[in-house]
Amino acid sequence: MQLKKPKSIRSALAVATCSMLSGVSHHATAESTPWEFDTALLYYAESDADNDRVTVVEPVIRARKEIADEEFLTFRFVFDSLTGASANGATPQNTPQTFTTPSGESTYTTNANQTPLDPSFHDARGAINAEWELPLSRLTKGIFSANFSQEYDYTSMGLAATLSRDFNNRNTTLTGGLSYNADTVRPVGGAPEGLSPMPTTTAVKKTTIGSDLDKNVADLLVGVTQVINRNTLMQLNFSYGMDDGYLSDPYKIFSVVDNTGSLVGTDPYLFEKRPDSRARQAIYWQTVHQFTKDVINFSYRYYWDDWGIASHTLDLKYRAELGRGHYLEPQLRYYTQSKADFYYFDTPDGSTLSYASADYRLGDLDTSTIGLKYGITQDDNSEFAIRAAMYTQSSGGDAPFPDVTANIIQFNYSFNF
Amino acid sequence: MQNPSLEKAKGYWIGRFKAMASPCEILLEVKKAGEARQLVQLASEEALRVERKFSRYRQDNLIYQINQAQGQPVKVDTETAFLLDYAQQCYEMSEGLFDITSGVLREIWHFDGSDHIPAAAAVAALLPRVGWNKLKWQRPFLTVPAGMEIDLGGIGKEYAVDRTAQQLQQHTDASLLINYGGDLVATGARRDGSGWLVGVEDPQHAVSSPGAKQTAKTQYELVRGGIATSGDARRYLLKDGVRYSHILEPRNGWPVSNAPHSVTVAAGTCTEAGILATLAMLHGEAAEEFLQQQEVTYWCVR
Repeated sequence: MQLKKPKSIRSALAVATCSMLSGVSHHATAESTPWEFDTALLYYAESDADNDRVTVVEPVIRARKEIADEEFLTFRFVFDSLTGASANGATPQNTPQTFTTPSGESTYTTNANQTPLDPSFHDARGAINAEWELPLSRLTKGIFSANFSQEYDYTSMGLAATLSRDFNNRNTTLTGGLSYNADTVRPVGGAPEGLSPMPTTTAVKKTTIGSDLDKNVADLLVGVTQVINRNTLMQLNFSYGMDDGYLSDPYKIFSVVDNTGSLVGTDPYLFEKRPDSRARQAIYWQTVHQFTKDVINFSYRYYWDDWGIASHTLDLKYRAELGRGHYLEPQLRYYTQSKADFYYFDTPDGSTLSYASADYRLGDLDTSTIGLKYGITQDDNSEFAIRAAMYTQSSGGDAPFPDVTANIIQFNYSFNF
Repeated sequence: MQNPSLEKAKGYWIGRFKAMASPCEILLEVKKAGEARQLVQLASEEALRVERKFSRYRQDNLIYQINQAQGQPVKVDTETAFLLDYAQQCYEMSEGLFDITSGVLREIWHFDGSDHIPAAAAVAALLPRVGWNKLKWQRPFLTVPAGMEIDLGGIGKEYAVDRTAQQLQQHTDASLLINYGGDLVATGARRDGSGWLVGVEDPQHAVSSPGAKQTAKTQYELVRGGIATSGDARRYLLKDGVRYSHILEPRNGWPVSNAPHSVTVAAGTCTEAGILATLAMLHGEAAEEFLQQQEVTYWCVR
């Protein structure tokens, strides 16, 4: 029974039909969807007031393909090349200092009042990660991944699984994930026994505890992502991680000083020693808000572990759309960390210590990064971007280590193939 | 006829095959037989593919899985998803007249020319199992409650016509006419600038529209666009002098009264024409009024 006056649906129907037919056609034409490639090249050069330090060149290739509806395969290849010198942990002294290299076959000398840097620091790392993302049911998605990376003195193999489920009309997503990595450390010249002296001449060999040492890393993550409104998304994660095995840095030492602050005569440098387990926790909160076009992205992370380290990370990015596919994205990042319980930049002679390290990465530390990215997106979905950033790092407290600055340049190119 | 056949006509080729229970015909203004044969082969593959994929008479396709899922969500592929989106839009813009869930009404309505009219209570009892709004469609998952079913047959043939045209146009710029059992589409002007002449049943209500011009009484020159027909030919019930057409109103479960014998519509695509023709039938007495409102070229046979 049709009593109402018929209304015109022709134009609405024409639009619906056209979008249906072109949608199908577009999908069918791209019978297999293209591979999406993201390529990046990162250049990082670090220096302090006196010396150039580490330089890193890192090409990254990421390839992603939709192999079925909502089902994706992603591969990621990273190659790092590190060259330069890195702080060995000893404090500057008003006399030159001599150290042996990790292999124990040569020595190097640091000038008076300079931070001792190990010049033999060089490394190349290759890493591959494969990830499979697929819908498990109408509201549930699974992501399974495997990764492998190799350096001349380090191998890492890992597996990870993440499940996420949508609730509340897909406005809320709960995520749970587990990952496990089994790593092997093969220090050059063997792993030194913790707190044993570093030889200062090639005639003496360091005491080692083995050449192949294991390290296991397990992580658990739970998170919730909430759509706040049409323009705002919020994410809150909690992660818990456990490391166990050989967690020391086999190349780091610390200085032993007498009560006048001068190096002791015999065995002035000891190899560091860290606990063989570590429990890590972190809370991460992120908010993304889209204005009419521009997008602001703010995140905060609080981290703490049972080594006594606690850290705060603040990150702010603002993407300003300039029109016709051009955009500018300034970035600010601030990181501050309180030291581990067993961090000492030097150690009084005669101390009885279970653990000790002078690695600046375990000390009081503030870093900040200021950067700017400029990108162009094109009609064919390709995108080119260049980012320049400056990084500064200062060791807090009265640690006698100089500030380090680094310049970062990054190129990105994304395309479909 | 297993393989498509090819026949030469004056200035064009005619390919023929059978699909979707209909004779299918492709007119191609290409020069070489080899090219024509390839295109017709492609067309027949596409027609059979659409038939296999969307026929509700098969048990080896997704439609069967969806209809047997007993209330469980079924994940559909992208093509089916686009068609379901479309079915939903048609349902909404027709205020429930176009409904791909109305097929269950055929459990009690058998249009065999007899006088077997089901009891009103039986019709009413079936209605809870009809209605697109009772389905849950969240791309790519469709949940059909137990006892309900979907049938894309109402747009399948017209969709196959448009899809075939799209496919063939990727391989040739030549003018084509694709005709699957009277639902057809033309892809553009022929070399001499003319269209394809299409026979339509009753041209007395022809209204001219841009893109196509009326020529003779029974011939319509189609340059670009689709034509589709909805009709009840020999499918009806007759009781106490009342003729019940096979067009069922999904909202009340009864045949539409005073529906035309057939409605033919010309529109931008065959699918659009098919939807408009079906909706016109569903408007019964108001079919012509509905069609006039749409400002399309149509032929309504009463």
